[in-house]
Amino acid sequence: MSEMPVPNDELVERLRHPASVREAFTEVINLFSEPLYWQIRRMVQSHDDANDLLQNTFLKAWASIENFRGEAKLSTWLYKIAINESITFLARERKRAALSLDDQEAALINTIEADKDVDGDKIALRLRQAVAALPEKQRLVFNMKYYDDMKYEAISEILGTTVGALKASYHLAVKKIEQFFSGDD
Amino acid sequence: MKQSSDILEKARRNDGMTVPEGYFADFSRQMAASLPERPEIEHPSAAFVGAARRTLWQRVRPYAYMAAMFAGIWLMLQVFTLVTNPGDLRPIDSNPVMAEALGNDSFILNYIVDDAGMDQWDVIDEMVEDGTIDEADFSGLANPADVSSSLDEE
Repeated sequence: MSEMPVPNDELVERLRHPASVREAFTEVINLFSEPLYWQIRRMVQSHDDANDLLQNTFLKAWASIENFRGEAKLSTWLYKIAINESITFLARERKRAALSLDDQEAALINTIEADKDVDGDKIALRLRQAVAALPEKQRLVFNMKYYDDMKYEAISEILGTTVGALKASYHLAVKKIEQFFSGDD
Repeated sequence: MKQSSDILEKARRNDGMTVPEGYFADFSRQMAASLPERPEIEHPSAAFVGAARRTLWQRVRPYAYMAAMFAGIWLMLQVFTLVTNPGDLRPIDSNPVMAEALGNDSFILNYIVDDAGMDQWDVIDEMVEDGTIDEADFSGLANPADVSSSLDEE
């Protein structure tokens, strides 16, 4: 869908200097808004929610830009903020509507069915529903591996999980998707 | 696994989601325009000058607030003590007003002994019981006034 861009060292360097920090951050927004949007959208499903969370992600990154020292990759840092925003949003919605995890999966599937921003691909739609029924962590891993084609090492840096655990998580996710589709037969 | 692999191949990493036309370009432009000012990182020297120009009141304000807070707590404790322990129950010996009153015999006779409804025979009875006086000294008296004068003579 949209591969994670690799910012050059010069951009990271400009983020550290007062005279260039705003301009450099604007470039960061241009570079990362699309991949971060898809990552968030696949978690929350709704375009409007994804749009709000993407704004929050950049506002939080801007508010703590001085804490970004460049030791971690810029993409890893932004991905972490975006994922935190998504998970916090889902937990808040669950609490607000007094939903259990299972109820929220059902609610996400309903959101997918009502989604107007789709291209009409039926297999893609069913796959989205199957992914929405996965537990949160497996959903994250599946999205990053399958849709973004990220390497396990990169996912490991973002989620702070071992590569072995990520492989197991992806394998389990695929098995559950298989079970989901077997119900269609 | 075969079936799911087929589905994953058929989906070709496409999630079917779309965004409104020109969304990302608009988003980037609006997002960049709405970033709040951060003078402390964009103009650190100017931010330092601004900090140095703080007035005396701005500098002492936190300490003034802290002092007011402690004064408030002290006042609250005083009020609490007053409400929970309204009377200052000092011992009679250390209360100068009570000590002076009890040291005055006529005050005792006029305001305590008389007002308490005791007659002087009750006083004599108690003094005899205490062993303060000998009953034989008063056995011939019939009038309490004689007792009073007898006590005055002592």
